[in-house]
Amino acid sequence: MKKSPEDTQKDKRFELLRELLLEEDRKELESLKEEVLVHEKFSERVAPLVDEKIEILREKFPEYFGDTITETIKIQIRDSQDEVIEALYPILGKLVKKFIISEIEKLTESINKTIKEKFSVKEIIKRFFKNKKNNADVVLQEVFHPIIEEVFVIERDSGLLAGSYSKGNIADKDMVSGMLTAIKSFAEDAFSKEAQDLEDIRFETFQLSIQNFKTIYIAVATSGVLNMDFKSELSDKIIDIAEIILKDRSYLNDEPKMNALLLKHLIEKESE
Amino acid sequence: MVSKKVLLVGNFGVGKTSLIRRFVLNEFSEDYISTIGVRVSKKIVEFENQQVKLIIWDVAGTTGNEKVPKAYFLGASSAMLVFDVSRVETYLHLEDYVQTIKELSKLKEVTIVGNKKDLLTTDELEKVIDKINVKVDLVTSAKEDDNVEEAFVMLAKESIK
Repeated sequence: MKKSPEDTQKDKRFELLRELLLEEDRKELESLKEEVLVHEKFSERVAPLVDEKIEILREKFPEYFGDTITETIKIQIRDSQDEVIEALYPILGKLVKKFIISEIEKLTESINKTIKEKFSVKEIIKRFFKNKKNNADVVLQEVFHPIIEEVFVIERDSGLLAGSYSKGNIADKDMVSGMLTAIKSFAEDAFSKEAQDLEDIRFETFQLSIQNFKTIYIAVATSGVLNMDFKSELSDKIIDIAEIILKDRSYLNDEPKMNALLLKHLIEKESE
Repeated sequence: MVSKKVLLVGNFGVGKTSLIRRFVLNEFSEDYISTIGVRVSKKIVEFENQQVKLIIWDVAGTTGNEKVPKAYFLGASSAMLVFDVSRVETYLHLEDYVQTIKELSKLKEVTIVGNKKDLLTTDELEKVIDKINVKVDLVTSAKEDDNVEEAFVMLAKESIK
């Protein structure tokens, strides 16, 4: 059926009204369509670049951020030591236990090996004729061979360091000499034995043997088991060194010369 | 380089440790001094084209009343007696302290330093110095880093005399 002119007129009005009412929405729809299209196009162009950058970042992450992260972790650990200790304690406990077991196994092996070697008929006969060391000394010295770790030649009154030898890196030797002298004086004074000298200090695996002379004293830190032979030999060497120093006092004012003397008479002879 | 043992002595709380802290970074832990009554620090001092390695013995107490081993004073090349300009009890017996230090260390001279000058006005400081019957060599402030370096250079010079 054909529309009447009135109906057509109504339709036009309705269309006009619809246009008027939906104009804003249509514009927004168009704009959104454009945005989506632009975004898609932009994504297509940018995505490979972003992927490339991410790949580079992944590869070079430690280089770019390693220091910063390490520093942050350090600060975190420092600021929350209790928590760290609490977290690590069980793990460390297991590790320590494992380490001790492994060390005991090594020690057992070492003792067994030494006993086998030193108690062979040949060795027993050899020792029978030499008759110097007892059996326990022989085994202990083989297993825990004594090592000279540090030597200090120190002026007795002032505590100033005249020369030294050090196997490892210890704290400031000048201050160690001063503090050692102070501790020595303190101990001698505390027990009111001014005419007597402190001769030995033991700490953990170290033993500090002190030999006193009139104007100097020589402190030798050793690790391992010190048997009577080693002690006596060391003492003789120290007396020899002291004799050289006290005969030629220029050693006291020449640290490199003194250090060379210690190396020659105590350490090189020891390793021969 | 020549090494010299120098003493830093003075009553408790006069600021000896603060002076050392200001001057020296390299030092032993605080625990030692309360245990054995001395702390050893080291500092290389440069003056007039020479270098002196100062081994500084910071001795707790000076008066001879404290039980400090006499051996701490032996072998020293110079000594600095420190007092607190704001506390009369620390400079009341300076003359006696100087005498004790000289006897124990066999030194002929002792450098006398008044610390904590930042706590007094210039007028108050002058009055304090006037009251003291021994010559005060220098007044310092460890807090404000005033004259600290000078005091130790003075000590170093005295040690090589």
